[in-house]
Amino acid sequence: MAIHNTSYQHWDGVHLGIWRRRGVVAGSSLTACLRNKWMVNLIVVCWSTALAAAGILFLVGQLLVADSIVVQWVSNFNPELQQFVKLLTTWLEQHPQISVRTTQNVAFYFYAMFLLRFSIFALGMAMPLLITRDLASNAIVVYSAKAINRGDYVLGKFCAAFGLLTMTWLGPVCAAWLVGNLLAPDWGFFWHSRAALGHLLLFGFIALTSLSVLALGISACSVKEKSTVAIWMMWWVLGGVVTPIATHTQPWLRHVSFNYNLQQIALSIFGPGTDLKVAQDTIPLLSTMMSNVHPETMEALNAPTIWGAVVAMILMLGGAAYVIWQRVKPE
Amino acid sequence: MASPLIIETAGLTKVFGPQRALDGVSLSVGPGAIGLLGPNGAGKSTFMKCLLQLQPITSGSAKLLGREVGREGREIRRRVGYAPEQDCHIPGMVGCEFVTLCAQLSGLPFQAARQRAHEMLDFVGMGQERYRKCETYSTGMKQRLKLAQAIVHDPQVVFLDEPTNGLDPKGQAQILELVASLWHTFGITVVLSSHLLHDVESICEQIIIIARGQVLVHDSLANLKARKRGAAEVVVADRHLELQAACQRRNWACELLSNGHLKVDHQAESLNPLLQLLHELKMAPLEIIPSPNALEESFIQALNLSHGNS
Repeated sequence: MAIHNTSYQHWDGVHLGIWRRRGVVAGSSLTACLRNKWMVNLIVVCWSTALAAAGILFLVGQLLVADSIVVQWVSNFNPELQQFVKLLTTWLEQHPQISVRTTQNVAFYFYAMFLLRFSIFALGMAMPLLITRDLASNAIVVYSAKAINRGDYVLGKFCAAFGLLTMTWLGPVCAAWLVGNLLAPDWGFFWHSRAALGHLLLFGFIALTSLSVLALGISACSVKEKSTVAIWMMWWVLGGVVTPIATHTQPWLRHVSFNYNLQQIALSIFGPGTDLKVAQDTIPLLSTMMSNVHPETMEALNAPTIWGAVVAMILMLGGAAYVIWQRVKPE
Repeated sequence: MASPLIIETAGLTKVFGPQRALDGVSLSVGPGAIGLLGPNGAGKSTFMKCLLQLQPITSGSAKLLGREVGREGREIRRRVGYAPEQDCHIPGMVGCEFVTLCAQLSGLPFQAARQRAHEMLDFVGMGQERYRKCETYSTGMKQRLKLAQAIVHDPQVVFLDEPTNGLDPKGQAQILELVASLWHTFGITVVLSSHLLHDVESICEQIIIIARGQVLVHDSLANLKARKRGAAEVVVADRHLELQAACQRRNWACELLSNGHLKVDHQAESLNPLLQLLHELKMAPLEIIPSPNALEESFIQALNLSHGNS
């Protein structure tokens, strides 16, 4: 006996709203991405780094606990490092509102920029599943013939890209902040590190939105899957190659790299240069330790080229939006 | 009470560069099984796509299910199904997932979508193949899958663009039987686009013949079949001149064709007057070929127009 009725049956249920239908577009794309075992492995790696970051925050917090294993372990360090840790501990004890904010802000700036690379790589892997495959297979016709329009489709795909980046970037960094502060010896850590979280969320929103739109634009460029993946990865890699060369020749050329632009926006939001200066003033030993850092690096940390980056990103996003508008059509 | 109109267009025009794919199409079509007939490139698919907003209209207006196309696109498409001519599956997805997704895109909750997807796949006659990836399907399975996704959300109207393309005669018959049942048994209006007269003739009640972007004919199948020119070709072994003279005495135009047949314009709906004359002359014709009905004639005219165009 057949499980289902083999004759035609009319359906008289309640239809879902438009946001649920957009969610279906996003959900199906995200599910397709997660079917790739390499993508799953990458997400696991991203979350593993979050555990590591939370572990580092835990170790820093344990410096305040007099008889902790960490304090005993530090006693095995060389004298200079012991001195540094003592000063850090003193700073944490005396000015937690400043020290926690500063250390976490700097830590999360570097962690966010580190994890961003994984996200760009994840988008490269997901590139064919965003728009390319729908254009190549004419599935776009089926989407367009259902109860959604072109804007709904693009919005759904945008949510899929944003969701993927949340799994590889925003989720891990926020989890690291949450777990790191949960493991801290004082609940005040949550309050003192609120700036780091705020910066993370603000930069996360900007970076994820920008990367998602750029990825959709590249994904709509061609109906060949290999082409779109190649364009995305080449843009990223070439940007990384061009940036250091352009610094000494044509500085404006650095802005062709979306990664560089995002870094400049992150520098403006997190302001790690200011925090490092505060830390150096408080822990003189840090100044000695950082004397080996190249002056250009310190200058880059202190003076991000924010307006150039913003203009370049707006132009890139405009270009991506134009490509999407032109290419995402049933025919 | 008159049936509400399903399709209403006024001066519907679609231009692609220098070519007018639709040229001022004005139609009012009620529910039923509607055949959109015409040669390749006549504008049938473009007409469907304009109604579904898959192509923007250049000028004119169109209403589907009483709603303005272009203003209420989502609401219209929620009530309408569409099976395009070309393949349109999502690679990497298995058949039942694809149909479930299509149901969800039309607003069905997941559980209902999955249930209906299986029901529709059963309805179109797909068995265990539904658990295979779409790209591995044969042409017949892909046509069935397209039909299933078009009706999974229980539309009021379903547009089918060349649904029997690439199928063997048995497959064609099965698909046509399913399509016919949609209107005749379940009350879903079907708009079937085809360049095959047989497909349209076998299941449709209303016929729209399109050629070069214009509507040549819009009438019921019954009317078109009943409308015949009072002419026939008579094949006789000899006595051609005698038959010609007899026809002229009755004021019937009679012409000897190059193939030796006599074309007689007997001016009656049935062949009875011609048969009566042959009986009076004691002639036994080898063959009498009645003139084609209006449907066939219009279709031939559309084909000729299309060839003239090319």
